Amino acid sequence: MTRDDRSNDGSSNDGSSSDDPPRETVSIPNEVELPRLLDFYDLQDAEHTGIHEFYGNLRDGELTTTRCDDCGAVHFPPRIVCPECLSDDLSYTSLPHEGTLHSFTEVRGTAAIGMTDDTPFVAGVVDLGDVRLSARIDDASYEDLEIGDPVRLKIVDIDGPTDQDRVFYRFVPV
Amino acid sequence: MWDDLPLATMRDVYVIGAGQSPFGSFPDETYLSLFETAYENALESVGGELDPDRIDEAFLGTLGVGGRQIGLSSPAVTEHLGLHGVPTTRVENACAASGYSFRSALTAVRAGTADVALAGGYEVMTDTSADQTKWWLGVSGETEWERTSGTTFAGVYAQMASAYLDAYDATVDDLSRVAVKNHGNGAKNPKAHLGFECSLEDARSAPGVADPLNLYHCCPTTDGASAALLASEEVAAEFDGPAVKVAGAGAASGRVGLFQRESLTSIPASVQAGEQAYAEAGVTPDDLDFAEVHDCFAIAELLAYDDLGFCERGEAGRLLREGVVDPDGELPTNTSGGLKSKGHPIGATGTGQVVEAFSQLRGEAHVQVDDPTYGLTHNVGGSGGGVTVHVFERTEVDA
Repeated sequence: MTRDDRSNDGSSNDGSSSDDPPRETVSIPNEVELPRLLDFYDLQDAEHTGIHEFYGNLRDGELTTTRCDDCGAVHFPPRIVCPECLSDDLSYTSLPHEGTLHSFTEVRGTAAIGMTDDTPFVAGVVDLGDVRLSARIDDASYEDLEIGDPVRLKIVDIDGPTDQDRVFYRFVPV
Repeated sequence: MWDDLPLATMRDVYVIGAGQSPFGSFPDETYLSLFETAYENALESVGGELDPDRIDEAFLGTLGVGGRQIGLSSPAVTEHLGLHGVPTTRVENACAASGYSFRSALTAVRAGTADVALAGGYEVMTDTSADQTKWWLGVSGETEWERTSGTTFAGVYAQMASAYLDAYDATVDDLSRVAVKNHGNGAKNPKAHLGFECSLEDARSAPGVADPLNLYHCCPTTDGASAALLASEEVAAEFDGPAVKVAGAGAASGRVGLFQRESLTSIPASVQAGEQAYAEAGVTPDDLDFAEVHDCFAIAELLAYDDLGFCERGEAGRLLREGVVDPDGELPTNTSGGLKSKGHPIGATGTGQVVEAFSQLRGEAHVQVDDPTYGLTHNVGGSGGGVTVHVFERTEVDA
């Protein structure tokens, strides 16, 4: 039976003909829940991450990272095993809250998904002496910044999508 | 380390065929149909009839943008090509996926586990939303500590551009000159995605994407596939046409996140891979007659000139201003149009560069350089997490 035969004889939907395959409309969801990875901040408690102390310190207003008690290496991001000597004898150490801008850009048209509503915004690499880190630079524009400019820590509280009190670091010009 | 490897025990390897699909936006194509086109064009480019049954192994690169057949994607492709039973592996190194699939095929033939190996790559990128594409490219950057600063690759390369322009005598106009040159070449390539010319004024006045990069300093997202057939010297001797030897190969990994690197004005993995490839080939950058370098963003092409020794460090802008890298210059670069104009179907880019090198050394390129002997390809994953460099030589096969 061709498609045209079926539309003409008017009998294909009644299921009475043994030649016709059964038909049914099925639906698919309009939306699927975002996968966990799209929430790009860690779950920050001890149950979910080995570096919960880093987040706890940040929540208390202090930027810290790990230092290896065996070889002395200072890491960023904080580690649970030293990538230089494989020791797991690590301690948390304070990082300065002021550093310099190592490089930067103002993101206009191509922000990471999850931050597309924030454009334009400045992002950069901040030099804190022992380590460098990538961060949002708030209250700044590309035209007003130069490499080497001093910046200082700003702490943001993350609203959603979990009920955890989560925090993260940004920087602002001094 | 690589410099201790017993090169003398490895077999010489030749590229006996290479081909690509058109690069562009093709809603009526799939990764299977695109790769089939590339594969058929590679087979047709062989100087004689290659029985596909002689392909011993296949290595296929893809990031898997859109999340379609990620598991067992390579068997899905070889099945589609009728290469039943051939061992095959998906190779993933983001934008360097098929630079590395080529390397895997090279290694197999060098080692003698294959006499003929297929290397290739494919990507379908234009049928997903802009947000989806950002997600799929975003997960190839450093996902935990760099992406939290809100950047995708444009923002990451923009920071390298800021650092480079601050450190050296290079300008935003030099970035725009990459677009002008590569579009000039791509306009002559019928398989290019953005095959139109652009003027310096066009490139200067494009809308900003991530300062200092504007739209003309960024490559497009593209659908496409490419393939190369590698063979031992004994097999290569059976076929006609100039022989294209893989004279040298280099590869290196690097820190995935920018913040973990000592310098933003160089990609260390490019330097390491380049030095290795030159050493294996026994050549210096002065010996090269052309190069295909990874210009995902205009700054990446300038970094490549410095890192691959085309000039002294910091001199890349001068090569563009003086026309050294133009088609009639001393070292024509990205004669295919590069990623900027030819397009950047992530997994297909590495072997896409090999297609251009093969065409140049056979004298069949759309923007043909005069009688070349040596050419180089340079493929970068992400912002430098993985790099391959290959040096190709037109030579005679000792039958």
